[in-house]
Amino acid sequence: MLTVNHLAKSYDGEKKSLTDVSFSVHPGEVTVIIGPSGAGKTTILRSINQLIRDDDGEILFDDTDMRQLNRSQLRRARCRIGMIFQNYNLIEPLTAIENVLHGCLGTKSNLAGIFSLYSNREKETALKLLEKVGLKDFAYQQCRNLSGGQKQRVGIARALMQHPKIILCDEPIASLDPKSTITVMDILRDLAINDGISVLINLHQVDIAREYADHVIGINNGQVVFDDRTQALSDAAITGIYQKGAVPERSLVHEF
Amino acid sequence: MNSNVEEMNDFFTKKRFKLTLLIVILGAAYIGASMGLGFQSHSLLNIQDGIAWLIQNFIPNEASKGYWHEIVQQLLRTFLVAVAATSCAAVISLFLAVIGAKTLTPAITISWVIRGFSSLLRNIPIVAWAMILLFSFKQNDLTGFLALFFMTLGFLTRAFMETIEDFGTEKIQALQATGATYLQVIFQGLLPEIAVALMSWILYMIENNVRDATLVGLLTGTGVGFIFNLYFKSLRYGAAGLVVLSVIILVVTVELISNLIGRLLS
Ligand SMILES: Nc1ncnc2c1ncn2[C@@H]1O[C@H](COP(=O)(O)OP(=O)(O)OP(=O)(O)O)[C@@H](O)[C@H]1O
Ligand SMILES: [Mg+2]
Repeated sequence: MLTVNHLAKSYDGEKKSLTDVSFSVHPGEVTVIIGPSGAGKTTILRSINQLIRDDDGEILFDDTDMRQLNRSQLRRARCRIGMIFQNYNLIEPLTAIENVLHGCLGTKSNLAGIFSLYSNREKETALKLLEKVGLKDFAYQQCRNLSGGQKQRVGIARALMQHPKIILCDEPIASLDPKSTITVMDILRDLAINDGISVLINLHQVDIAREYADHVIGINNGQVVFDDRTQALSDAAITGIYQKGAVPERSLVHEF
Repeated sequence: MNSNVEEMNDFFTKKRFKLTLLIVILGAAYIGASMGLGFQSHSLLNIQDGIAWLIQNFIPNEASKGYWHEIVQQLLRTFLVAVAATSCAAVISLFLAVIGAKTLTPAITISWVIRGFSSLLRNIPIVAWAMILLFSFKQNDLTGFLALFFMTLGFLTRAFMETIEDFGTEKIQALQATGATYLQVIFQGLLPEIAVALMSWILYMIENNVRDATLVGLLTGTGVGFIFNLYFKSLRYGAAGLVVLSVIILVVTVELISNLIGRLLS
């Protein structure tokens, strides 16, 4: 479904932030990327929907290379890739329902998008999604008045509005309290199990990764140093991933 | 320990020396400039005589009441010119600021051109604008309008551009990630977020332009600036005083209303 091959990226042309990153993500699974700060997790995630232009490699989403698409093709491909962020990135003065409806902008004409001309069906879907994340009563609340956990759930509903095949999550729980963390992670896992969506999450919490992930990718210094089922994530493997200057275990890479 | 204290004493001695030097330079500059102008410092001592003259002549009297009607009419004109110039400039500024802001610009050269253009407009003083425009447009309301318009265009473009850049790229990217187009991102994401900030810049500029419009009117021969000039030169000081009073009332009212709107918005 999503296969990344030999991805490379350098921001300044000198220091390599990613060197030859390859991995695959499967439908209906939660894949978690872990690794020390500055390892390149955010860079990988943002390259997938081309918010960052990478330097080299291949990003096959449904067998088309995201890197080769022109503007309108990219726009269409992005419609099927949801994304949620550590800082939620909602439009704060707008209501929850308006933010959710932003998820279908990609399928609308310029004018319809500008003037918020959503169809009744889209409005119904948006309400149902808010219900799904437990925020039906907050539909007409301005997002700036919501709590962090509620904002993140609006963010998830916005991503779901895209009818995504995959959802990219960049540290979705880093700003949340323990209870909201569980709510959000439970929702993400349900999406994989019940809706067959691929969920790809950058995380710093190894215990959460162990509990929720089906598949774990370890990144260190711009390289894949671990790529296996969660059961194989031993304490020794974790130490290896977070070690300074860890080297890729070639046997594990490309196993999928 | 001791050397630390010495070091600190040194530091403060140097600071005191710099302050003294600054005062000496400013004093010398004042004396130099007044000599150049043939300006007599002792006339400052007669300032109370000046104020007494002002009170005797400029306080509106019974006779100046007859001018109310004309003054209010001209005041309204001045006010309308200021509002029209500000709102017209605001719309164009917003457009320029969006395509000029580094976070949204289609090409970085466009951003530099707009930046240069706006600081050019802004750095020409309003009075110079009015004089330049007098050549082509003669003495009428349009000249005043254009002078205010160009200055405001430069100012608001810069202010809006900074507001947009402060907004950052994260939320813009979040909407781009849904597949939204450039225009959709601007109307659905950017504008709702910065609307309040834009509004307070516009209100500030209206206040400012009401004041400037009076001054520009002196040059362009329109509005309340013009009738002040007229009354003053024909020695109708009471009426001229009434004009000054009415301008003060207008400016204060506009400021109060603008504060009120600002509070309602936030
Ligand atoms: N916009 C940028 N410009 C220049 N260098 C960047 C930029 N973004 C990231 N980098 C560099 O690329 C490397 C990888 O950064 P990235 O943000 O992908 O790490 P990360 O694994 O997400 O870290 P964290 O866990 O702290 O979020 C880092 O060395 C970082 O300094
Ligand atoms: Mg990161």
